[in-house]
Amino acid sequence: MKVFFEQYFDFNVMGEHFGEVFEAFLQNLLIFAVATVVALAWGLILALLRQSPGKKFLPIRFLTIAYIDVFRAIPLLIVILLISGGVPFLTFLPKSIRIPQWFGEPDPYWYGVTGLVLVYGAYTAEVYRAGIEAVAGGQMEAARSLGMSHFQAMRYVIVPQGVTKIPAPMLNELISLLKDTTLVSVIAFGESVLVSREILAERLNSSALILTAFFFLCITLPMARLVDYLIKRNQAKITRGAHIEVA
Amino acid sequence: MAEPMVQLKGVRKRFGSLEVLKGVDLEVGRGEVICILGPSGSGKSTLLRCVNLLAPPEEGEIFLEGRDICKGPGSGTGESSWNLDFVRQRVGMVFQQFNLFPHKTALENVTLAPQKVLGRSKAEAEEKGRALLERVGLGDRLGQYPETLSGGQQQRVAIARALAMEPHVMLFDEVTSALDPELVKEVLDTMRELAGEGMTMLVVTHEMGFAKEVGDQVVFMDGGVVVEQGDPRQVLDNPREERTQKFLGLVLER
Repeated sequence: MKVFFEQYFDFNVMGEHFGEVFEAFLQNLLIFAVATVVALAWGLILALLRQSPGKKFLPIRFLTIAYIDVFRAIPLLIVILLISGGVPFLTFLPKSIRIPQWFGEPDPYWYGVTGLVLVYGAYTAEVYRAGIEAVAGGQMEAARSLGMSHFQAMRYVIVPQGVTKIPAPMLNELISLLKDTTLVSVIAFGESVLVSREILAERLNSSALILTAFFFLCITLPMARLVDYLIKRNQAKITRGAHIEVA
Repeated sequence: MAEPMVQLKGVRKRFGSLEVLKGVDLEVGRGEVICILGPSGSGKSTLLRCVNLLAPPEEGEIFLEGRDICKGPGSGTGESSWNLDFVRQRVGMVFQQFNLFPHKTALENVTLAPQKVLGRSKAEAEEKGRALLERVGLGDRLGQYPETLSGGQQQRVAIARALAMEPHVMLFDEVTSALDPELVKEVLDTMRELAGEGMTMLVVTHEMGFAKEVGDQVVFMDGGVVVEQGDPRQVLDNPREERTQKFLGLVLER
C-alpha cells in the first residue's frame, strides 16, 4: 500500500513540481479560453447555415451537414495530427499561416486551437441546432409575416430564444473541450500533461499527473455542478410556466 | 366596384400528396370584411397563408392591389423576394396562438419589425407603438412580457404588432379560438373597431355573431373549395348548400 501511495501521491514530488505543473495548466486554460470563444462563434455560424432556407441554399446546407457529420465522427487526435503534420508543408500558404506564431504563442498552440475549433464547432453547432429547433414554429411564421427576412427572424427572434434553452448542454461540451486541451501535448506543446509526463519519465513517479488531474477537477467539477443547477432551474421554470397566473 | 384589394383565381395548394386548396376563387374589395367559416381541415388557414405567401400556392393567381403576387420576375409560380417584400409590407397577420415574441416586452414586440424592416428610428417606432397599444387598450402594459399578460391582452398586442407595419389588409386566423370565453369579447371589440375604420380584413373564425354583425360577406369553405358565399345573414340564416346547412347545424346546436 505504501508503494501505491508513493507512486501516485508523493507530496514531495508534487511540492517540488507544483509551480511548473501549475504554469503548464494555465496553458491548458489559455487554449480552452481561445478555442471556446472561436468554437462558440463557429458553431453558431454552422448551425445557421444548416438552417438556411429554400432550394437556393441546398448546396450550403448539404456541405454544412457533411462538415458537422465528419468532424463529429473522427477522433480529435487525428484532426490535430493532420493539422500539425500537414499544414506546415502546404507551401502555397503564407508562412504566417503554415507556422503561426501569433500573440507570442508557438505554432503547436495554434494547431491545437485550430483542431479543437474545427471539431468543437461541429459539436456546438448541434447544440445550437437543438436550441433553435426548440423555439416554436409559430415564432418564425410571426416574424416572417411582419416582413422580416429569414436571417432577420433568426437574428432577432429565433436565436435569442434558442440560446436560453441550451446553457446546460453547451456547458457540457465546454467541459469536454477543456479536458481535450490535453491532446495538444502529443504535438509537443508544453501544457500540463506533457510537463507531467516529463516529470514521470524523470522521477519514475506519477504524482505530477495526479496533480494535473486535480487541477482539472478544480475547474470541471464546479462546471458540472453548474450544469446540474441550470437543468434544475430550467425544469423549475417549465413547471412554473404551466401555472402562470394571468395578470 | 373599383379594383379589388385581394383577388384569388383558381388557387391550389398542396402539402405533399395532400391537396388542401382545390381551386379557390375569391374577391375582397377595399375596406371589406370577409369572414371565412368551415370545418377544420377545410383549408381556411391555408387560404390566409397563401395570401401573405407564408404558404405560396402551386397553381392559380393571387392579386394584391392589382399585382399578381405569385409571379415574380422570371420565377414562375412560387416564392420570390421581390413579391415577399411587396406582400408582407401590405398584409398583416394575427395567429390563433398569438405568437408574440416571449423575450420581448409588449412595446418591443410592436416596435421590432418597424425598426428592422421599415428602418424606423427607435424613438419613432416607440411613439407609434405606444399609440397602437393605447388604441388596443394596453397603454399601461408597455413594459410587460407576454407571459405576464392574459390571452386576450396578448392577442391585442399581436394585433397592434401587425398594425405597426401599416398593412392594407389584415388576416385573422382563428384569433379567438385559443382564448378563455370571457376574453373573447375584448379581442372581437378591437377587430370591430378596426373594421369600422375601414381596414380590409380576412377573418377565419367560428364566431357566428361576429360574422353576422361585422362581416360584409361570409365565405363557407369545405374540402378545399368555397362552397357558398354571400351576405352574412343570407348564408348564416338561410344557407342554400346542404354542406353549409349541416355545418351550421352542428355549430349552432352546441
